[in-house]
Amino acid sequence: MAPLAWLGTLILLPLLGAPLLARGAFGRFAPGARVVLAAGVGAALVSFAMTLFCLAGVPWGLAAIALAAALFAAALSALVRGKATAPAQERLGRTGALAVALSGVCVLVALAATDAGAATSVDLFYFWGPKAQQFAIARGVDTAFLAGPFHDYMHAYYPPLVASLDALATIAAGRFSWTCATLTFPLLLGALAVALPGVLRGAASRSAAAAVSALVIAAIAVIGVRANIAGNGDMPLLFFETLAMALLLRPDASDPAVQLLAGLLLAGAASAKVEGLAFALAAAALFLALRGGGLADSAKAAARLLIPTAVTLGAWFAFGATRRLFTAYSEYGPFFALHPDHWPSVATGIPLALAATGRALPYAVPLICLAAAGRPGRRAILPLGTAAALLAFVVFTYLHLATDPSQWISYSAARILSPLPMLFALAAVCARRLSREAA
Amino acid sequence: MLPRRSDTASALAPLLGAVLLTALALWTLPWREGLGRPRTLLDRSTARALAPGYRLITDALRAMPGGASFVVRTEPPDAEFETWYHRLGVALAPGRRALPAAYLGVFTPPEVWREAEYLVLVGPRPRQAPGELVLSTPNGTVWRRGKS
Repeated sequence: MAPLAWLGTLILLPLLGAPLLARGAFGRFAPGARVVLAAGVGAALVSFAMTLFCLAGVPWGLAAIALAAALFAAALSALVRGKATAPAQERLGRTGALAVALSGVCVLVALAATDAGAATSVDLFYFWGPKAQQFAIARGVDTAFLAGPFHDYMHAYYPPLVASLDALATIAAGRFSWTCATLTFPLLLGALAVALPGVLRGAASRSAAAAVSALVIAAIAVIGVRANIAGNGDMPLLFFETLAMALLLRPDASDPAVQLLAGLLLAGAASAKVEGLAFALAAAALFLALRGGGLADSAKAAARLLIPTAVTLGAWFAFGATRRLFTAYSEYGPFFALHPDHWPSVATGIPLALAATGRALPYAVPLICLAAAGRPGRRAILPLGTAAALLAFVVFTYLHLATDPSQWISYSAARILSPLPMLFALAAVCARRLSREAA
Repeated sequence: MLPRRSDTASALAPLLGAVLLTALALWTLPWREGLGRPRTLLDRSTARALAPGYRLITDALRAMPGGASFVVRTEPPDAEFETWYHRLGVALAPGRRALPAAYLGVFTPPEVWREAEYLVLVGPRPRQAPGELVLSTPNGTVWRRGKS
């Protein structure tokens, strides 16, 4: 029963995001996509509520956190106006049906590999799981545990979403479930497989949206198994990043409701892993640069995209500062303290790490598909520019290490760069031949 | 409404990519080792070298009461593995106190773990008993240590 209760808690997240996603403005999404988007919003708001509870010194309780998250969603729904309808009915066709089947196979592969212990992240046992387990026992972020001797490797400053949600599930189940924590990989991949075609339909035909989604799901499945991401923060990060980017590529991304939704998902990404903040800033900046328009409109769009991230991370850093635990992402020294002498290790280590992950095919194939899809439209700058920014951030981070980063790169680069193939695939949606807007 | 022929053609590139990567995904499954659920979640991961310690620590929970302190060591001593096993001890033995025999690949001073009530020893049984044997498994032994 405990594992069921553990996973059941996460499956209930759509209910907490529902007060926002139930608004008519989100009728533009197919029902399956709407449920998954509500889960993403629910997860981001639950994490935010749990941080606020810690900041206020209030112990975590299931009902109180759920109520707070649902109230936040209801309050946000007041900002959303108007109605929108789903795109006209369109047959999936044989191409689309094959794409849907491929996505299903990849989710089953992820499930089988996870169940067979072939995709487990060792970081789940090093810090993601222990933190969640201890936070559940303490009914809050346990500062004494994080600051304890020989616990530096827990990375106290890491953003809170994954450990908090796992702790919430642990409170509900009565104990931490290592198996269920690993199953979040196929579960979130399955959720993406359900939602992504529906979100991309605004930007491409039904069959093209299904094909691009299948490409994204397959790339994540291969990297997830080969780089062992089951149970760590990489899959939640990919979940938020993929949906946020897909929303920003839609022709109706100028709609305030779509921007608010993308902003909440970007906040989820920034709350999941450190590199999520780099992704959120790059995606928002490029989106604003590409959209044009007046200064006032741009300011409003920037607020919708970035205030959720600023508020959620602001609360987390306020907690860290008031408890004298951390004040910044600063584990590797001062921001500009780089070690350029490590450049050769970084320049050779990253390609080697990618080559060791399915012979780099999950990274190369989406890039080849992008080239084959035809001349990219202007909107492709958004995913491709974000990919470039993320790569630059990763190189910048590796150059921070005082010692030779080769070993660190060998076990982390494939995971940390896993959003790249997703971004290449989504850029294909902007190719003139696939783009609904161009049609 | 039927999909236009151009829609289908334009979807071919990502579809072919998805076919190729799905085949690769199927190839990544551990077919030879079987798809059954293994004894530990690390058995077929890239960290499979830690599986013996994982098994021994979970077995040791039967022999160590709640609140007990313990240290995980290897035979022969290995600072890298003892670093990782300390972390597994923190994860897999909640309610007990794991003390580190090594940290970041370097042995800690013995004073750090001197007070450990139990020794979880991954590997062959040592020639000289480090205490009272409370559990012996193919992956190692668990000892109740005397007061130092």
